[in-house]
Amino acid sequence: MKKVLAALLAGGLVLSTVGCGGSSKSEVVATPDQSAPVAAAEENKKEPVTIKHWYWADNTEYSAVMQDIVKKFNETNESGITVVAEEYPWDGGGYSNTLFSAAMGGGGPDTASWKLTSTPLFTANNLLANLDDYIANWDQKDDIDQNLYDIMKQAGGTENIHVMPWNTQILYVYYRPSMFEEVGIEVPKTYEEFLTACEKLTRDTDGDGKTDVYGFGMRGAKGGQEPWGSFIHGRGGNFEDMTSPESVAGMQDFIDLYQKGYVPPTAPTDGFNEIIANFKSGRTAMTIHHTGSSAGMIETFGEDVSAFPFPAGKGQWTSMGDTENVIFESCKNKDAAFEWVAYLATGEGQKIWCEATGNVPVSKTVQALDFYQNNKFMKASIEGMSYAGILPILDTTTEWISVTWPNTVGFALTGEMTAEETMKVLQEELYK
Amino acid sequence: MQEKKASIWPYLLIAPALIIVIAVVFIPVLQAILMSFQSYDLRRPNNIAFIGFENYIGLFNDKLFWKSLFRTFIWVGFGVGLQFIFGFVLALILNQSFRGRGIVRAVSLIPWVTPGVLIGLMWRWIYDGNYGVLNDILMRLHIINDNIPFLSKASTAFPSVILTIIWQGIPFFAIMILAGLQGISQDMYEAADIDGASKMQKLFRITIPSLKNTLFITVLLRIIWVANSVDVIFNMTEGGPSYSTQTLSVYIFNKGMAMDLGYASAMSLILTIILSAVAIPYLINKFRTEEE
Repeated sequence: MKKVLAALLAGGLVLSTVGCGGSSKSEVVATPDQSAPVAAAEENKKEPVTIKHWYWADNTEYSAVMQDIVKKFNETNESGITVVAEEYPWDGGGYSNTLFSAAMGGGGPDTASWKLTSTPLFTANNLLANLDDYIANWDQKDDIDQNLYDIMKQAGGTENIHVMPWNTQILYVYYRPSMFEEVGIEVPKTYEEFLTACEKLTRDTDGDGKTDVYGFGMRGAKGGQEPWGSFIHGRGGNFEDMTSPESVAGMQDFIDLYQKGYVPPTAPTDGFNEIIANFKSGRTAMTIHHTGSSAGMIETFGEDVSAFPFPAGKGQWTSMGDTENVIFESCKNKDAAFEWVAYLATGEGQKIWCEATGNVPVSKTVQALDFYQNNKFMKASIEGMSYAGILPILDTTTEWISVTWPNTVGFALTGEMTAEETMKVLQEELYK
Repeated sequence: MQEKKASIWPYLLIAPALIIVIAVVFIPVLQAILMSFQSYDLRRPNNIAFIGFENYIGLFNDKLFWKSLFRTFIWVGFGVGLQFIFGFVLALILNQSFRGRGIVRAVSLIPWVTPGVLIGLMWRWIYDGNYGVLNDILMRLHIINDNIPFLSKASTAFPSVILTIIWQGIPFFAIMILAGLQGISQDMYEAADIDGASKMQKLFRITIPSLKNTLFITVLLRIIWVANSVDVIFNMTEGGPSYSTQTLSVYIFNKGMAMDLGYASAMSLILTIILSAVAIPYLINKFRTEEE
C-alpha cells in the first residue's frame, strides 16, 4: 500500500510541474450573441459605462500618450463612458497569447489593441464581436480607405469585419547619409544596388583588420520575416510559392549577406532591440524598421539619418505592419466600446497617437495634415504604401513567425540548410 | 466513541488541503492526459476530437522531439551535475570559519533568489556578441581577438545557457548541503582525528554518508526543476538559434503557445514518465526507510 502511495505521490509531484493546462471545451465552443440589441443599448447610452481596454506601448513615452488619450476621451465623450486602459508588454507577440488566455478564461478586456495575425485564432473561437453593422452605420466610415476594411475582413477568414483599423507601419530602410558619403554611393534605386550598398558600407574603419561597420542590420530573430520578405519579392518571388526559383534566389541573397560578413555575426538572434542598438551605435549603416523608431533615430543622429523605401528588383514588397483595435464578444456595452475604438480610428485619438508615435494614420483627414506631408520618414512610408503587404494570415502564421521562421532561417544562415531546403520547410510549415 | 472521533479528525484536518490539491493539480493533470489523446488545437477548434495515440505516433516520428529530448538529458546532466559539484565545494568552504563568512553566505544566495526571467535577460546581455561584457573581458585579457556571438551560433549557444543554469543553481545546493553539514556531530570528526583519519577519509566516510538524504532530495528536486525549466532558456534564446537550445520543456512551451495543446500534452506526459523514473524509486525507498 505504501509503495502505491509513494508511486502516486511521485507521479503527482512530477505531473504537477509538467502538466499542460488548458481551457475547458465548453469555453471553446461558447456561442456568441451576434445580434446585440443595439436599440436597448441606445436607451442606456447615458448610463455610466466602464470599458476595460488592453494595449501595449513600445516605450514609456508612448505609454503616457495612450493614458493621455484615454483621459481626454473620458473627459470629452458625452456618453458617460470611462475607459480604463491597462498596459501589457508586447513581448515579441506574447501579448496576443496573454490576451487569448485571458479571453478564453473569461477575464479578458472589453476592447484591445491588436495585430491582424492573431485574428484567425480568435475568430475561430468566437471571441471577437462582429463590427459589420457598427461600421455600416458609422458616419466616419469613409474616412478610412475601403482597402483597409477588405484587409481586415480577409484577416479573419470570415465574411465579417472583426477588426477596427487604427494605424499602420510601413517598413522602409533607415540609412546614415554621412556613411553613404564616406564610401561614395547614392541611395539605392534598385534591389541590386541595395545589395551592392550592403557590401560597400561594410568597412574596417580603424585598419585593425576587423569589421567595424556592417552594411546592413539584419533581423534574424522573430519579426525578421518582415524585412526578409522584401528580399524574396526583390528577386520576383512571393509568399504563395516560396519554393519557386525566384523566392529561393531571394533567400540566397539573404544567406549571402550573412555568410559574406555584410551583417553583424549576431544576426541570427538579433531582434528589434539589437538592430536598433546596432544602428544607433554606428555598427550598422542601414537597417529596416518603421516610423515607430524615427523619434529615437532623430534624437540620436539629428540630421544624419534618413530613409528610403525598399527598392524594386523583379518585384517589390515591403511589410505593412498593422495595429488595430477589437471589441470582444463578451463586452456588455458594445456601443460604448465602438465609440472608443472609433475615437482611436478617426477622432482626436488617431491624431494624438500617430503624431506621438510616428505611425501612419488610417484616417484620410489626419493623413492630409502638414505633419505627415513634410516628414521624410512618413514620406518613405507613404511611398511604400503602394506595394506594402502582409504575410498570408492563416491559423499557422503565428507559430510560423515565432518558431518556424527564426529557427529555419537560422539553419540557412549558418550553412546547415541550403536556400532550397529552407524555403521548402517554410512553405510546408506555413501551409500545413 | 472517543476513539472513533479521534480517528476522523486527521482526515477532516487534511481534507481542505487535499481538496485544493485535487482541484489545482490532479484535475488539470487528468485534463492534460485526456488532451494528449485529442487533436486539441485551439487554432482549429472545430476539429477537436479523440484521435487515440496519433499524437504519440507523431512524436515518435518527430525529429525535433527526439533532438529536444536528447538535449534535455544533456541539459540536466551537465546542469545539475555541475551545480552539485560546485555547490558541494561552496558549502564546504562556507562551513569553514573565516572573516566575513556571513556576508559571503548572503551574497552567494543572490543567483538563487534572482527570478529566472531576469537571469535570462541579464546573461543574454552578458553574452551579447556586440556589447557583451564577457566579450569585453576576454578581449582585454587577449584571450580572443574578435567578439564571439555566443548566443547566435548553434555551437556556443547551448553551452552558454547551460553555464547560466549552473550559475543559478549552485546556491541551492550550497545552502542545502551547508544545512546538512551543520547537522553532523563534531564528535565524529574528533573521533576520526584520534584514529588518524585523513581529510579525504573524513569526507568519504563521515561527511558524505551523513549527507546522504540531503543529497538525494536536493538532486531529485533539482533534476525535476531543471528538466522543466523554461524561463532561463526562453529569455536567452527562445530555443534558437536553429533549435540548438530547445529542450523538451521549451518545445512543449512553444507548442502550447501555438495552441496545439494536444501535442504539447502528449510531450508533457512523456516528460512526466521520464521524470517519474527518477522520482518513484527514491520515494519508495524513502517510505521503506521510514517503515523500518
